[in-house]
Amino acid sequence: MALLTPYSKVPELNTATVLLVENEEELQSKLANALVRNENDFNVNVRLARKLPLPVENKETRPRIDLIVFIVNLLSERSLQSVESSLAHLHSDCFLGKVCFLVTDGRCVLRHVTLSVSQTADGVNAAAVRLLNILKVSAGMSPIATTALYLSSLTRCSVTSELEED
Amino acid sequence: MADLSNLAGLVSEPSGEIDSSVSSVSNRSLRLAEKEKRKGVADPFGLAVKYLSQVEAGTVVRGNDELERNMVRVETVALSKGLPPEVFTVLLDLALSLNAGTANCTRVLKFLIPATVVPQEAIVKGVSWLCVGKMPMNAQVLFVRWVLTVFDLIDCKDDLRSIYGFIFSFVTEENLFPFICHLLYLLTMREHVHPYRVRKLLDIQAKMGRQPFLTQLLALYKVFRPDLVTLSLPSRVRTGFKNHNSTWKVALCAVQRKNTSAVLVDQSLSLDVKEKPSSRKRKLHHLAIPPLSSAFDSNSNKKVFRLQELCSFKELLENIHNIELPAQMGSLLGSALALHYLDCVQDESAFLRLNFWLGHSLQEEFLLCPVDGSSDNTSEGCRFLSTILFTQQFLQEGFSSTESFLYKFLSVWDGCLLRPQILDLLSDIPLMPSFYMHKLLFEPLKQLYFTSTVFFKCSVIECLNSMLVKWLTWHSVSASEGGLDISLNSNSTITMTLSGFMDSVMELVRFVGLLASEGLRLENCHVLLLNQTLAFYETVCDMFLKYSLPLIIMPPAGVFYPALFATDSISVDRLGYIMFRYRKNLTLAKKQEQQREQTFHISRNTYKEFNRNLQAMVNSMWNSWWCIPGSDIEIDKDLIALSKVAEPWCRFDLIHHPALFSYAIEFHQRTGKYWNWYMEFLFNQGFDGLNNFIQTNTGHGSTLNSQEDGQPKSQP
Repeated sequence: MALLTPYSKVPELNTATVLLVENEEELQSKLANALVRNENDFNVNVRLARKLPLPVENKETRPRIDLIVFIVNLLSERSLQSVESSLAHLHSDCFLGKVCFLVTDGRCVLRHVTLSVSQTADGVNAAAVRLLNILKVSAGMSPIATTALYLSSLTRCSVTSELEED
Repeated sequence: MADLSNLAGLVSEPSGEIDSSVSSVSNRSLRLAEKEKRKGVADPFGLAVKYLSQVEAGTVVRGNDELERNMVRVETVALSKGLPPEVFTVLLDLALSLNAGTANCTRVLKFLIPATVVPQEAIVKGVSWLCVGKMPMNAQVLFVRWVLTVFDLIDCKDDLRSIYGFIFSFVTEENLFPFICHLLYLLTMREHVHPYRVRKLLDIQAKMGRQPFLTQLLALYKVFRPDLVTLSLPSRVRTGFKNHNSTWKVALCAVQRKNTSAVLVDQSLSLDVKEKPSSRKRKLHHLAIPPLSSAFDSNSNKKVFRLQELCSFKELLENIHNIELPAQMGSLLGSALALHYLDCVQDESAFLRLNFWLGHSLQEEFLLCPVDGSSDNTSEGCRFLSTILFTQQFLQEGFSSTESFLYKFLSVWDGCLLRPQILDLLSDIPLMPSFYMHKLLFEPLKQLYFTSTVFFKCSVIECLNSMLVKWLTWHSVSASEGGLDISLNSNSTITMTLSGFMDSVMELVRFVGLLASEGLRLENCHVLLLNQTLAFYETVCDMFLKYSLPLIIMPPAGVFYPALFATDSISVDRLGYIMFRYRKNLTLAKKQEQQREQTFHISRNTYKEFNRNLQAMVNSMWNSWWCIPGSDIEIDKDLIALSKVAEPWCRFDLIHHPALFSYAIEFHQRTGKYWNWYMEFLFNQGFDGLNNFIQTNTGHGSTLNSQEDGQPKSQP
C-alpha cells in the first residue's frame, strides 16, 4: 500500500505545500482562498483532495507535502468515517507534527481536537491564519523558534475520560 | 350631509360668536364622519372576532366558507401585527372548546401571537378547558407550550398562582409532564411547596427515573423548603427544560420587531447606566434580556412589592423586606437596582433560578444553535455577553453557570468569535482546585495560544493577569476576615484551604511562565508580548507585600533574559522595577521568618534563583561583565571573538546596552563625559525602576528622582 510519507521528497525554496482533505468539499475552497489571501512571508501551495490515498498518476510531479489537514464536519457521520479510512494511508511519521484536524459545526465537547472553525467569514479567515502559523513551522521555516514535533507536543491535549461536571 | 349644508347656510352671518359655534359644530360632524370611516376600516377584524365568538358547538367545519374567511382574517392580523389583548379569551374559548373542530384548535393555537400583553383571565380559562379533558393530547401539549412561550407577556401571574394546584394535577400526564414541570418552575413560590406535592413528584421520579426537568423542579422545591426535600440533588443542575417555543419563535420575532415602539416601556431601574446599552431590542429571542413588565395588579391584597415597581434606591431600601422577585429571572441582569437587592438579600432560590436561566440561554445560543454568518446573531451575542459581564462586575463575582459554559465553550472555540467578551468572562472565573485547572482551562487555552497570532497571545496573557489579580484580591479580603479555611464565592459549596489556594496560584503562574517563554521564542521576542509578560510579573513579584500571600515565584529564564537584553528601554526599566520589588519581598520574608514563627517558608531555591538573576543583571549593567563563567549565559571566549565586536564584555551595561545606547549618545552630545552627570541624566528620562534597582543593589544612583516605592513613570 502506498503510504504518504513526510520526508521522501526534497522541499522547494521558500515554498510550503498544504493538503486539505475533506469529504464534502464545503469548507475546502473557502479555506483555500483564505490561505492564499493571507500568505505573505513565503509561497503557499494548496492542494485539495477528497480522501487518501492520492492518485498514483501525479506521484512524481507532486511536491513535498508539509502539512496535511483533515476537515471533519461534526454533523455528518460519513465525514468522520472517510477521515478514519484515510488515516490508514498515512505513514506513521506524519503524525509527528505534520497532521492537523479541523472541525466545523462542533457543538459538543471534544477533548482531542486541534482546531475548531466557525463558519463565519471571520472564522474562516482566522482559521486560515492559524493554519499558516502551523504550516510555517511544519515546513521548517522557523528553525530557531521551534520544530513541528515540538509544536505538536505543546498543543497536545491528553485524551481523558469525561470529567464529572458537578 | 344635509345638516352641514343647512348650517353652512347660516354661516353667512358676520357675527363672530355664531361663527365659532357653527365651526365647532361642523368640526364635530366632521370628526364623527372620520370615526365612522375609521370604524369601517377596522371593522373586518372586529367583525371576524365577533363571528368567531359566536361559533356554537357542533358547527360544520368542512365547506364552511364563512368560518374559513373569518379565521383567515384573524390569522393575517395575528401574524402581521399581533393580537390585541381583548381577543385572547374569545379565541382560546373557540379553540379549546373544540367548537370549530380539532384541526382549527391547533391552527388557532399556532397563530396566537400577542401584540402587547396577554390577560391572565384568558390563561385561566384555558387551563379550565384543559381540565375538562376533551382536547386531544397534541392540542393539550401545544396549549401548555404556548403558555410557556408567552409567559413573559402575561400581565399578572396572581391568578395563575392561585390555581397552582390545578396545574399541578397534570403532572401525572406523561406527555404534558415536561412542560408542566417547566410551568410550575416558573410559578412556584414558597407557599406552594407542600409535603404531598413533594411526595407525588418523588413517586413519579421513582417511576420515570431521573429526568432533568424533574430534577430542576425538585431543586427549586428544595431551595424553598429544604426540610421537605431530603434527597441529594447535584448542586449545579444542567439545563433541564425542553425547548418549547419553536413553533412561535419566528412569528413572535417578526411581530416584536415591528412593534418596537409600541411594546412595554422599559422601566429602567438602573441607577448607574455607564455601560448599559441605552436601547435594547425588544425581540422575544431567547437571547434578549426579557423586560421587566410594568403592569401590576391593583386588586392584589398582598402587601408585597414587585421588584419592577420600584423606581429608586430609596424605595428599595424602604421596602426591602417585602419584595417579590419577578418570574423571569433573566430580567434582573443589567439592572443595577435589582442587582443591589440580590446582593443584599443573598436569596439562594433567586441565584438558583438565575443560574438556571443563564445556563440555559448560554447553552442554547452558543452551544446548540448553529452559528450562521449573520452579523445580527453575533452582535446580539456580543450584547448579551456584555450584559453578563456588567452584572458580574457589579456583583464582583462570577456565576457558576457562566463558568461551566466557558469550560464547554473553550474546547469548541476558534479563538476568533466574540474574543474580547469571552476573554473578559474568562478572567472572572473563580478559584478552582489545581487538579481541574489543567483539564478545564489550560489545555484548551494552550491549543489556541500556540497557533494564534501574537495579539491573541497578548490578550490571553492579559486575561490571565487579571484573573490572578482577582484571585489575589479575593484572598486578601477573605484572609483578613480570619481563618485558614476560606470558602469560595458565596454560592459555591467548595471550601479551600490556604495551601490549596497557594497550589492553584502556583499552577497559574507556572502556566503563564510556560506560555510566555515559549510564546516569546515563537514570536521572536515581540515587544508587545514582552510587555504583557512583564506586566504579569509585576503582579507576581508583589504577592507577598501587596496581597499578603506568602508565595514568591521567580520568572523563568525564558522571560528574564529576553527582558534583560531587550532592545526597547521600557522592558529593561520594567525588569529593573520587578527585580527591585522581588528584593523587597524577599528581604521582608526573610526578616519575618527570622523574627518569629511563621507558617510559611520560602525555599532556598527561590533565594538562589533570585541571586542568580540579580548577579546576571548587575554584572551586565553595572560591572560591564556579563559573561561570567558558570552562569546561564556563558559563551565561549573564542566564539565571542569571532563576532569581531570591540570590547564585547561591556556591551550590555548602562551605556552600551542596545536599549540605552541612544540616551548615552544624546548625553554625550549634550554635555561631556562625566559619569554622575550621565546617571542623573539617564534617570531623569523617567527610568525610575532602573534607578531604584541600581540604587538598592549598588548604592549608587541618582538622588534626585529616587522614591521609596518608586513606580516607574512608564507604568500604566
